[in-house]
Amino acid sequence: MKRKLKIYLPFVNAGMQEVATYRVNWIFFMLGEALSCFVTYFIWAAVYSSGSKESMNGFTMPQMIVYIVLMFLTGTIIASDGAFVVGEEIRDGSIIMRMIKPVSYNATFLFQELGNKLPTEIAIAVPMIITVEIIRTVMSGMFEFNVLRLVLYILSCALAYLINFYFNICFGFIAFVIKYLWGANMMKNVIVGFLSGMVIPLSFLPEAIEKVFLFLPFSSLNYTPVMIYMGKYGGTELLYCVGLQIFWVLFFFGLSKLLWKASVKRLSAQGG
Amino acid sequence: MITVDKLRKEFKKTVKEPGLKGSVKSLFKPKSKKVIAVRDISFEVPKGEILGFIGPNGAGKSTVIKMLTGILTPTSGSCTINGKNPTQNRKNYVKEIGVVFGQRTQLWWDLPLRETYGVLKEIYEVPDDSYKKRMAFLNEVLELDDFISSPVRTLSLGQRMRADIAASLLHSPKVLFLDEPTIGLDVVVKDNIRKAIEHINHHEKTTVILTTHDLADIEQLSKRIVMIDKGSKVFDGTISDLKSKYGQIREMYFETGSKNAVEVLGYAKHFNLGDDDLSVETEGNAVKVRFNSSAVPVSDMLSYTLGKINISDISVKDADIEEIIRKLYEQGVE
Repeated sequence: MKRKLKIYLPFVNAGMQEVATYRVNWIFFMLGEALSCFVTYFIWAAVYSSGSKESMNGFTMPQMIVYIVLMFLTGTIIASDGAFVVGEEIRDGSIIMRMIKPVSYNATFLFQELGNKLPTEIAIAVPMIITVEIIRTVMSGMFEFNVLRLVLYILSCALAYLINFYFNICFGFIAFVIKYLWGANMMKNVIVGFLSGMVIPLSFLPEAIEKVFLFLPFSSLNYTPVMIYMGKYGGTELLYCVGLQIFWVLFFFGLSKLLWKASVKRLSAQGG
Repeated sequence: MITVDKLRKEFKKTVKEPGLKGSVKSLFKPKSKKVIAVRDISFEVPKGEILGFIGPNGAGKSTVIKMLTGILTPTSGSCTINGKNPTQNRKNYVKEIGVVFGQRTQLWWDLPLRETYGVLKEIYEVPDDSYKKRMAFLNEVLELDDFISSPVRTLSLGQRMRADIAASLLHSPKVLFLDEPTIGLDVVVKDNIRKAIEHINHHEKTTVILTTHDLADIEQLSKRIVMIDKGSKVFDGTISDLKSKYGQIREMYFETGSKNAVEVLGYAKHFNLGDDDLSVETEGNAVKVRFNSSAVPVSDMLSYTLGKINISDISVKDADIEEIIRKLYEQGVE
């Protein structure tokens, strides 16, 4: 294990240096994210002000704001470029340069991406969490910060990231078949956004649909960590949700190994 | 020791009819056709040999290299490198080999070169002291010092290629695969790279398989050539074999004052030669005649030419390897 870490830690380091190289790109990316966060806020503000009820499907307006901000925070934390990167490497054939090294293909990606993400995450998570707490305290008049929930939230985010990473890797391997992934990737992002509660909280959906969505791997992405932080899950429900997350991590991890084995045989290494 | 036995690779290729109509058609009903990239190739490379692996563009050289390095899985046949099958247990196998694909890089684009070597050191588990020795050695052979602190994306092509070759040698591999290592480089850099390859092969008995389009690489480095064309092996032997087998071509070069010397001479008619055995080029006063010396002895050619027109300067030389191979590429080998 220690040896493995020693092999893959340089990839984390490499990832961090990559981000440092493209700082401006990163700043613009974060600005874009913040902007779409505001857009969602205004939509929901309009919905709440036109309705007569104070609470909708168990969400009050302040809770909705907290939900939106947390959704975006969580989305950024667990985001994974895997599908795109794998797809590109398959398309231009540079995947072969990873194959001539005695390392696991998936693991090099994972650690490189972690290196890419760690600085980002620390840089945005701390101010965002503080913002959330300020909003919550101001709007509801109560200070609800809970360390245990924060710890569980971080744990749940880590699991969600792993699900997302391995899911995206699996998705990226489709490029072995369809060669160019851009279109499929766009479609996937929209669908996953909806299924994971990014657009509307899953509890707003009809109960039967909500149940199905809650079991699907996508609710384990953003929705579970956010609900945990908001304190909507307690006791057995919380255990069940985290258990489900662990299940999906293992599922997609196994699937990615299988797909890698199967698709490597199809590799035609385009160009050169 | 490398053994390649009836290695074969087939690809499915989607065929699209031309134009928009064809694109729409292939979107709904893609047609595919089987392409045989490598046709049952067999050869062996003993330990410590530098093998020149040549062939025209699209002959299947890179496909063979990719199968030997475990990237592609053969459709049928097998290859064994030091008793190992590349596609089984890839991670274990690639520890023993070094690979350079001239058209790609294995270096981290955004990292300073030094860091890339640091990463590779960990990946290949090179101990600290041998790493230091190795880096000093590679520095000396490939002169990395000038740019070792620069990010890889800022390196020139020649620097990058040297850095790439160093990266493939860091873990002292037993077998080195070089796929066009001198592509796009200037004469001096090419020469340095050849010297480095020679040096390493000589001192460490590294087996090298080298593909290239620059035949000077081959002439300087390898005694043996395997040539493939359209996926099949067409020649396997030493450079002198190649010359004696196909090297009956001679080049005669002369300068003359006569205006229409070539018409006056009429080689083709006089010696009854076909296009395969004769070609004539003129440039101002200079004439270059390439002919097959088994069809016309050199002495006959000379005496006929000297007797027919006035000549100020004349020379005859062996066709170089480049000439032979050009001919083979153009005609194919029967």
